[in-house]
Amino acid sequence: MEKSSINRKMSKSGLIFGSMVLAAMVLLPLAVKNAYVMHLFIMAYIGILLGMTFSMLFSAGLITLGAGAFYAIGAYGSTLLSTRLGLSFWAALPMSTLITGIVALAIGSIIVRHPGMAFTIITLLFAHVVIQATGQMEFFGGWGGIIGVETPDPLGPIQFATKTSFYYLILFLLLLTALVFHALYTSRIGRVWRSIKLSPPLAESLGINLYRYRLMAFVVASSAAGMVGSFYAHYFQMVTPEAFGGWLSIYIQLYAVLGGLEFYILGPAIGAVIMTFVPEYLRIAKEVEPIITGVFLLLIILFFSGGILGTLRRFWRAKRPVVFRVKSRHKLIAGPNVLRDE
Amino acid sequence: MALLEIKNLRKYFSGLAAVDDVDFSVNDGEIVGLIGPNGAGKTTLFNLISGFNSPDRGKVFFDGEDITALRADQVARKGLGRTFQSSTLFMQSTVFSNVFSAFYRQYQQPIWKAFLHTPKVNKEEQAIKRAAIEIIEFMGLAAHLGDELATNLPHGQQRALGICIALATEPRLLLLDEPLTGMNSSETMELVGKIRQIREKGITILLVEHNMKAVMDLCDRITVLNYGRKIAEGTPEQIRKNREVAEAYLGREEA
Repeated sequence: MEKSSINRKMSKSGLIFGSMVLAAMVLLPLAVKNAYVMHLFIMAYIGILLGMTFSMLFSAGLITLGAGAFYAIGAYGSTLLSTRLGLSFWAALPMSTLITGIVALAIGSIIVRHPGMAFTIITLLFAHVVIQATGQMEFFGGWGGIIGVETPDPLGPIQFATKTSFYYLILFLLLLTALVFHALYTSRIGRVWRSIKLSPPLAESLGINLYRYRLMAFVVASSAAGMVGSFYAHYFQMVTPEAFGGWLSIYIQLYAVLGGLEFYILGPAIGAVIMTFVPEYLRIAKEVEPIITGVFLLLIILFFSGGILGTLRRFWRAKRPVVFRVKSRHKLIAGPNVLRDE
Repeated sequence: MALLEIKNLRKYFSGLAAVDDVDFSVNDGEIVGLIGPNGAGKTTLFNLISGFNSPDRGKVFFDGEDITALRADQVARKGLGRTFQSSTLFMQSTVFSNVFSAFYRQYQQPIWKAFLHTPKVNKEEQAIKRAAIEIIEFMGLAAHLGDELATNLPHGQQRALGICIALATEPRLLLLDEPLTGMNSSETMELVGKIRQIREKGITILLVEHNMKAVMDLCDRITVLNYGRKIAEGTPEQIRKNREVAEAYLGREEA
């Protein structure tokens, strides 16, 4: 195999930094003894996962305001499987993920035909419909929700009683999802999504069935949101419509915007962590906190449109000139950024 | 043998005929020019052929097969490539990524294997990367194989990149929509030479172009449209002498 820089390799410093972050995530419960802080980390990881589903649709040129709907479908699906059918979490999680995927396929096959603003508004309305339906219908427990969802059955010696055990569970789901999403983004599927985002007519002229690939992104992203919903239900041991309504879908979007829209995994990661912890420690006056958060976000969006990571990358690139030359036919020595935008 | 055959094609936009009862054909291995004043319906005709618009009436046959009702992506998969009039590129991508992403038809490995990044998939991607570099070199853009984003290229090179992208689909018929617009004379000469070389690779070409000298130089046959209707057809020599064509371009002489 040819060893040209057209083949993007992760830089050594990036690899080291990545391993350190990963190690920190794994070792975190050893350092944090405060249960509430552990809870915040669990919520941050849920936020990262949901933000990643927003980003996956964004990577295919679709902007959703309905991520919360599929999060809710997964949560309610898992709750019903657990409370009505007595299924264990370990069966309810994959099943509710699948159910969410099937619902997404049904809904998506209609709404993905209308990309652009129409798609965004329909997803927003769909989220609203889901919340209203669960709130109004007795089957879903009404506005009071459903309580008494079982925690996951013990996994060998691991009991799911402490925050730490749930932390490792959501960490596992997070890493698994990140791995799957990364594999998609770096495959030709990810390239097709990006082509569709950058220029739908040009993508179509290449032979790409826009509808099919948009639908694929919609189903994969929504299923992941459903899986997170299942975790949520068994973590809180209850579901209520309010937990999935209101500003949730907007917040999910903000995670991705704040971290950097062009970074489909790291963007939501940074955004969700900041938006979970910063307001928490800004709670000088609880009434003022949403205003401060809102202004802060507005400033970020106005002055750092690439988000945190996009802004950092701009500085990094400006500092380092790119050298490239073509050596001979088929052999290419290129700068390290040659595929950076993929 | 006719590779592309258009029969009685008609398209109305809000009551106005953009393409009115046009028929013509392109034979295998030809370079055919489509000319006419602005608003003559050339781009509409391109969109009808390539499936971006559907005609109100008439048929489009590609290699003997009726492709009238097919979507743009289906038409593309049949082997009909096209460029766009405005610089439609993946603007925020590098030159290499533009061409690499344009390969789509060629992947043999199933999509779930692509997701798993199996060795065979990686090997296939390597081959496609080499093919992409080859096309970029062929179109004279090798100097931009580095970090250059498409949006930063000068206009003439964006046109060339557009052709790279279309070539990556390995078309049998290539539709070029005003490929020479915005090019200086040396760039024009170079691209005319490239278009000839593309034909020598066995790709049939249908092009819309305003640069008359280049069209006369390049084309085996020319079709002239005016107000959506075909007003003339023939060799460059015949078109040059055609009185109606001269009138369409220069206005009718008051007698």
